[in-house]
Amino acid sequence: MARRRSVRAAAVLLLLAGVACGAPAGDGPDQVGTGAPPSTTTSIAEPVPDPEPEGRKTSELAELVQPLGSARYDPAEHEEPSRTVTGLSVPAVGVQDAPVEPVGVEPNGEMEIPPADEVGWYRFGAAPGEPGSAVLAAHVAYDGVDGVFRDLDRVSAGDDVTVAFDDGSSERYRVTEVVTFDKEALPEDLFARDVPERLVLITCGGEFNPSLRSYESNVVAYAVPA
Amino acid sequence: MRKITTMIAVLAAAALVVLATPSAAQESARIHLIHGIPDTPVDVVAGGEVVFADFQFGDTQDLSALAGQTLTGLTVNAAGTDTVAIDAGDTALPASGNYTIIAHLDPEGTPTLAVFENDTSSTAAGEGRLTVRHTAAAPAVDVLANGEPAFTNLSNPNEAAADLPAGTISASVVPTGAADPVVIGPADLTVADGSSLIVYAVGSLEADSLTVLTETIDGLGTAPSAVNTGNSPVGDEAGLPVGLLALAGVALLAAAVPARRLAAARVR
Repeated sequence: MARRRSVRAAAVLLLLAGVACGAPAGDGPDQVGTGAPPSTTTSIAEPVPDPEPEGRKTSELAELVQPLGSARYDPAEHEEPSRTVTGLSVPAVGVQDAPVEPVGVEPNGEMEIPPADEVGWYRFGAAPGEPGSAVLAAHVAYDGVDGVFRDLDRVSAGDDVTVAFDDGSSERYRVTEVVTFDKEALPEDLFARDVPERLVLITCGGEFNPSLRSYESNVVAYAVPA
Repeated sequence: MRKITTMIAVLAAAALVVLATPSAAQESARIHLIHGIPDTPVDVVAGGEVVFADFQFGDTQDLSALAGQTLTGLTVNAAGTDTVAIDAGDTALPASGNYTIIAHLDPEGTPTLAVFENDTSSTAAGEGRLTVRHTAAAPAVDVLANGEPAFTNLSNPNEAAADLPAGTISASVVPTGAADPVVIGPADLTVADGSSLIVYAVGSLEADSLTVLTETIDGLGTAPSAVNTGNSPVGDEAGLPVGLLALAGVALLAAAVPARRLAAARVR
C-alpha cells in the first residue's frame, strides 16, 4: 500500500513538474519553474471590463477556481468552548445530576470510562450544545457497584435528558431511539462529528460473560435537542 | 432485434460510465493553492489568460475543479503586470488525490512553486497530525514543541510530520542546532483530534518577513475501538431476574450435558 502510494505520488509529481529537470531525491517536493522573468512588456491596466479586451482576457478556468480566504493561523478557530458539561440527568432511569468528567482514550484505544458513579464525556468528540455527536458513557456496573447507566436500557423514546454546564446553564434533549449493538459491531458513526447536534449515551448490556468479566453488547440511547 | 436493443443498452451504459468518470475523478481531488510570498500580489495566468487576479499573500484558492486539466504556459505574474515571477510552463494538475501547491520563496529568496501531497491517512483516536513545511527563504531550522526539538534540520522545500495527542503546543522555530534566536513564534498551535494541521514557514529571514501560514484537513479521525462500561453483573432488583435466568440456564446446561453424553454412549 505505502509503495503503491509513493509510486503514484512520484508519477503525479513528475506530471506536475512538466518538462522538469531531474527530480530531487528525498522527501522534498519538486520545484516548478524558475524565477527569472524572460521579458517585460508594458501594458496599460484596463480597470473597466471590456467586452473585447485588447490585453489579457479572463480565462474560462476562472469560474472553476474558488477563493478560500486566508491561510493565516487564526487561534480563535481553535478556542475551547466557553462552557464544559458537568452534569447529566435522565430522570426516567434514576439519573439525577450525575457528575460528568471529560475523558479521552486508553492506551489500548478504548474509550476511557470514569468510576461507576460518574459519566465520561468524550472530549475529542463534539461537546453537548454543539453540532455533532456528544458521547456520554457510564458503567452499567463495575466491581459489583451499580453504575450511573445501570438502567439505560429502560429509557424510551421521548424521555427527557438534561445536560448541565459549569457556567450554570443547561440544555434539554429528548431521547429518540435506544439500540443494542453487539460490541464487535459498534458503529463507528456513534462518534461522528459531521452530524446534527445529538447526545449519544452509551453503556454495556446484553449477556454478561463472567469469564471475560464483560458484557457482549453496548446499549446506546440517542437524544436530540428538545 | 433483441440483440440490437441489448447492444444499445450496453453501449449506453458504457457511455454513462465514460461520462461519469471525469466528474468522479474531480470530486475525489482536492487541490489548494496558497500564496506564500509576502508583499507580492500576483496574477495567475494560464493559456495567455488570467485565471485569477490580485492574489494576495496568505490567501488560498481552491483549484479542485481543475483536477486532471493541464494548465498551459502557467505563470505567476506581479499583479496587473506582465512581469513573470514564476514560470511553471505547462502544468498538469493531478486528477485525484489531496495536494497543496504553494507559491513561495526558495532558500535564496527566488519565487517558485512547490507541490506537496497531503497525508490523509486516518489518525488514531485522540490524536491529530502536525506537519511543518519549510517554504521560507531561510537556512535549515529546528521546530521546537513546548521547548523540546520536535523536528530537526528541516530545510526548504521539505516537510516533517508527526501524529500527536490532541492538544495545544507552543511551537517555535530556531536555526538548526541553536536554541536562539527564535525566528518564528513562539505560537500556540492546536492539534485537534482527527485533524491535520499543516504549517508553512514562509517569508524571508533577510527581509525580516518570516511568518507562518496554515491549512487544516479534517475528517481523519478514528473512533475509540470499544466502550467497555461494565465488569460485573448489575445487582439488586433488576439484577435478580437476570441472575436467576443465568442460574436457570446453568442448571439446564448441567442437566443437558450428561444426557447427551449418555445418548452418545448408548449409540456406541
